[in-house]
Amino acid sequence: MGEPGESRKEASAGLVQYSTENLVPFGPIHPALKEPEYFKLYLRGETIVDVIPRIGYVHRGLEKAAEQRRWTQNTYMFERTCGICSFAHSLAYVQAVEGLTTYEIPERALYIRLIVAELERIHSHLLWAGLLGHWAGFDTLFMWVWRDREIVLDLVEAVAGNRVHKSLATIAGVKKDIPDSMKSKIVERTKHLADRAYFYKGIVDTESTLLMRTRKVGNLKAETAQKLCAVGPLVRAAGVPRDVRADDPYAAYGDVPLDVVTRNDGDVYSLLHVRLDEIVTSANAIDYALEHMPKGPIRLKIPPTIPAGEYSTHIEAPRGELFYFVKSSGTAIPERVKARTPTLANLPTALELLKGYTMADVPVVLTAIDPCFGCMDRLSFVDLDSQKKWSWTGEQLREYGIKHYFPERNA
Amino acid sequence: MMLVELLEALIFPGFLFTIGLGFLFDWLERKVGAHMQGRIGPLVAGPHGLFQPVADFLKLLYKEEIVPSFADVAIYRIAPSLFFLAPILGMLFVPVIGTKAVATFDMDLLFVVFLLAYSAFVVVILSFSSASGYTTVASGRLVLQYVSYEIPLVIATITAAVFSGSLSLAGIVESQSRVWNILYMPFSFIVYIVAMMAELEKPPFDIPSAKTEIVAGWLTEFSGRSLAFLKLTKEVSLVFGGGLAVALFLGGPLGPMPANSVLVPVVYGTYFLLKLLAIVFLVFVLRTALARLKIAQAAELFWKILTPLALAQLALVIVLKGV
Repeated sequence: MGEPGESRKEASAGLVQYSTENLVPFGPIHPALKEPEYFKLYLRGETIVDVIPRIGYVHRGLEKAAEQRRWTQNTYMFERTCGICSFAHSLAYVQAVEGLTTYEIPERALYIRLIVAELERIHSHLLWAGLLGHWAGFDTLFMWVWRDREIVLDLVEAVAGNRVHKSLATIAGVKKDIPDSMKSKIVERTKHLADRAYFYKGIVDTESTLLMRTRKVGNLKAETAQKLCAVGPLVRAAGVPRDVRADDPYAAYGDVPLDVVTRNDGDVYSLLHVRLDEIVTSANAIDYALEHMPKGPIRLKIPPTIPAGEYSTHIEAPRGELFYFVKSSGTAIPERVKARTPTLANLPTALELLKGYTMADVPVVLTAIDPCFGCMDRLSFVDLDSQKKWSWTGEQLREYGIKHYFPERNA
Repeated sequence: MMLVELLEALIFPGFLFTIGLGFLFDWLERKVGAHMQGRIGPLVAGPHGLFQPVADFLKLLYKEEIVPSFADVAIYRIAPSLFFLAPILGMLFVPVIGTKAVATFDMDLLFVVFLLAYSAFVVVILSFSSASGYTTVASGRLVLQYVSYEIPLVIATITAAVFSGSLSLAGIVESQSRVWNILYMPFSFIVYIVAMMAELEKPPFDIPSAKTEIVAGWLTEFSGRSLAFLKLTKEVSLVFGGGLAVALFLGGPLGPMPANSVLVPVVYGTYFLLKLLAIVFLVFVLRTALARLKIAQAAELFWKILTPLALAQLALVIVLKGV
């Protein structure tokens, strides 16, 4: 039931005024969380008074590791930041790197990037819709949606050669072409998926128990969303038409017509509709892109070094706006790469939304942002007692770890 | 005669029969759910995975049992057996191979209703005995759910008793020899089934053991033997609850009879099983097709909709009976 010492520290920092008796731990190991992360829920009865997150359980040090690998190698490593929006990460990274150079990226490559990114969005949204069913105790929706997810995974495999980590984006192009013979297959399947999205919208609208669990749950107002810097479907469900694909087109998004889907209520029900509608718009975008894809080369041959400079870029990952910052000193390895994932941006909103709702809403609201904790976790050092922040080198961190886990060695 | 009664109590239609049905329904629940969700379900142990529940039960029996250090050990140990007792004992009062059950006395319906309440309270005690954060939340939910479903459940039961003019299950079954009670009191039947699903914590009422919210609810701290028996009891409770519904609303084991007197118990038993299967199948379809409710929503459903419905049906039946 939580460690009293920890809570005292939080209390002295003005974070908590509640006793540990009201504390129900949510995580780090919990059936609702697919990745370890710890949320301290302070309850009054079943009502949530406060939520305190403890992030960092899946921190992997990818940004640091990037400083020891070549530019191209990093493409594949950043793809592994996330198992769901893997292409989004590699795309954002190569876009940031390309920003430091003056290469003309082939048109066809930009179209292929769009097609794969949209396939990935369909996959991600289907996966989330299924999981929402599971979190709301509606496993049938979960099983049905995930069966349809297989279709899009097969498509991704046909296009990229892999189901999860596509390894398709590369600096100044893409690695595989989409042959004309594959077009009809992709169009046919995406049409089917759009039909399924309409079917699930029907279920979401008519299944009364699901409506009871999602409607007016986690109501997000447009001002709150903007104040807390929410991104992606979360902010669009609150009625703010913010979408990087439309606001600041990258890849081939400038040429492909795309509707920005919004809803006005900001609850989980609206989120379901936003995401299911986006499956349809993605399917349409893929069809359009396949039809209008120009002929030509798909990649450029480039030298292994990247000119010195700094560049940051953002794209619309399935979960929301994804930032990448790169800094080059003109060598074959980057000096610094920094990623800001949509989950980290949305987490404060989710925690704010939880307050006042009940324990039963926790899995639904917390996971409405489609959290990806593995992408999100970063490392920073703070002392809650003295409000101090500092940074450590790897060696200092190692020493601290040894001291923490083997206190007898230092004695 | 003594031997026959003993065999009836221990084997058929008593103890072993009840537990066997419990395992069968566990398998059926998984299989129906799996097929509705586009999956296959249990497949390996026995034909079509029929023995999977037995295999799971045996596996849990020889697994290590971990008692939490903060648990109230005495209650933690005893309560699972007390819980197991309720549906097994209750099944003895449900008529299976004749209008008379294995155990029967005048006004045994009251005792059966008491058993339903008893098992609910044992679960609350169970939940409190392993005092972790999740089970504490689960206990609160259990109590709230209990006070929600118990009243409509009892009203629905009493409606059948009022109409049949008897407080014994045998009397209620005998009074339905021509027309089943469900035709006079369809709403009582509906209320009974929904309340029974709440008592058995089938979705949408699996609130006290909601996996994605409070881990395994009141089951969280149990393992090994205790867990095996608790899980088995949940399934056997379905046999008991469904059997009671058959007796109250579907004419118990009654139906068209052949002239041959030797076969009569077998035919009775078959009718009972078919009716029970129909009810159980209905429960399984409902549980697969619905999302979990929140505890406040469940309470609202029972207090605002089902209790008035049950009362209205009772009033209607009293009027019918009077005329």
